[in-house]
Amino acid sequence: MVVLELEESSLLLDEKLLRFMDQLELLEEKRAALNSLIEQGWFSMAKARYSMGNKRVSALQYASEIEPLVCVHARTLDNGEVDFCTERSKQKARDEVGKEARSIEDIGPQEEGVRRRNKPKNNIPEKKEGEEASSEKAPEVTPIRKSDQNPQQDPLKWFGILVPQTLKQAQSSFTQVIELSAEIATLQTAILNSRQELKQCRKDKPILQEVSATRLEKLTD
Amino acid sequence: MAELSFNKDHGYLEGLVRGMKAGILTDTDYHNLAQCDTLDDMKLHLQSTDYGKMLSSSEEDLTVSLVDSKLRENLVTEFSCLRSNALPPLSTFLDYITYSYMIDNVVMLITGALKQRDVAEVLPRCHPLGAFDQMAAVGIARTPTELYSAILVDTPLAPFFQEAVSDTNLDEMEAEILRSKLFKAYLESFHSFCKSLGGATRDTMCPVLEFEADRRAFIITVNSFGTDLSGADRSALYPSCGKLYPEGLQLLARAEDHEQVKAVADCYPGYKIIFDDPEPESGCKTLEDRFFEQEVKLNTLAFLQQFHFGVFYSYIKLKEQESRNIVWIAECVTQRQKSKIHNYIPIFK
Repeated sequence: MVVLELEESSLLLDEKLLRFMDQLELLEEKRAALNSLIEQGWFSMAKARYSMGNKRVSALQYASEIEPLVCVHARTLDNGEVDFCTERSKQKARDEVGKEARSIEDIGPQEEGVRRRNKPKNNIPEKKEGEEASSEKAPEVTPIRKSDQNPQQDPLKWFGILVPQTLKQAQSSFTQVIELSAEIATLQTAILNSRQELKQCRKDKPILQEVSATRLEKLTD
Repeated sequence: MAELSFNKDHGYLEGLVRGMKAGILTDTDYHNLAQCDTLDDMKLHLQSTDYGKMLSSSEEDLTVSLVDSKLRENLVTEFSCLRSNALPPLSTFLDYITYSYMIDNVVMLITGALKQRDVAEVLPRCHPLGAFDQMAAVGIARTPTELYSAILVDTPLAPFFQEAVSDTNLDEMEAEILRSKLFKAYLESFHSFCKSLGGATRDTMCPVLEFEADRRAFIITVNSFGTDLSGADRSALYPSCGKLYPEGLQLLARAEDHEQVKAVADCYPGYKIIFDDPEPESGCKTLEDRFFEQEVKLNTLAFLQQFHFGVFYSYIKLKEQESRNIVWIAECVTQRQKSKIHNYIPIFK
């Protein structure tokens, strides 16, 4: 009986180890994809600046208060893993915006949602963290919206209506980065979980080995 | 007979501009810049060119944006030197060159106001060549009509508002339409001014301005796919002083995708090569890159003739391309994308 348990536990340990390795490999792939997409996005922006002029793709083009277009929802599953999924808010019509804005304020704290900033297109990477922190406070502070403002606007329009292809490419790279980030975050928590399980299994194994050894001894006596 | 009397009024300035043209970066300079690993290395290499100590004198952190601003400052200094010594009609010609920057500044101020940006923040980013007295007030206007009647009526841009006045509120779309309409009126006015000057000025400037008009028509069409700008709206934005007028423009207004635009370009030998499929080795050049290349070719031709104003316009445009090249190399260096660093356009081979 104990021998069977030991065998099962060894097989389980092997399975967990293989799964852990697979997850690590997947994580590396996704991270490499994320890095290359971010590099691509910044480079496409540099190309857009080449065609449009340096000062037409810069921090001047966006407002200091930005509404997020993408929300990240974190959900804790039964096995302790956390699942991150991104949700893109639909384009709203102008007259709905006023009512919806207030309702977003109301249901916000009750939802298991973490508001994530839409990646602002600026050419100063250090400012990005600062922007995120400062615009965090913006939605709570201003419940009254101007009726002629459309907060659900495509950020591409900040740079003009007739923008070159390269800017659109930059936007699509950054959009993919947002979705990939959520997948990587989920994968990272899954890996931490796997590592924990692996540790547990390895702790249990010597105990099982000892028990089976003593029982074998007793049988042979 | 222009050759006999040109030097009396404009000889000094033509000499000056040809001297400045000799300082345009060569292939060797670009090769050295492309070898750099940091912006500091680039600063060092630029010191041995006509730019001299341009970057060393500033205490701010060396960023690509700073390099761009300094290059622009340098060009403005050279232009101001030319403009302050110019007599009519060269002074009018040089003023015409500044109007395109004024139009860009007006639109930048309007979009800055739409984003609730402080005027004090936006003003320093405006192009100095396009400065005018009433700039600070531009952000207050809510419609193009208000913009014209209250603010721009006393500026040189007033004559270009003929077709641009409207009572729709200024939002991103209206600002873009305003930019294109003002530019169309400006280009057509500049073209007829050059034509009236006649002689070598007309022979060098008119092809350049016609190319500019056609380029705008193509770029507006291609960039409008997937946006709210319809074909009918676009056709009001196409300048009519180019080779495409009138049949090409009508076809472009009806084009719905890139293939149809290419079909229009195929009817004109000069534009067919721009839209042709690239060879695999040339890398992924964008449409804008190809137009810039063609622009450089046309502008270098201006220096083959003497006693005309085209050299002044061409010099400004070639210096702008040089700035774009240097900034491109700087971006590749800072982003470590050395493989694409040779996408700049060399000017005088």
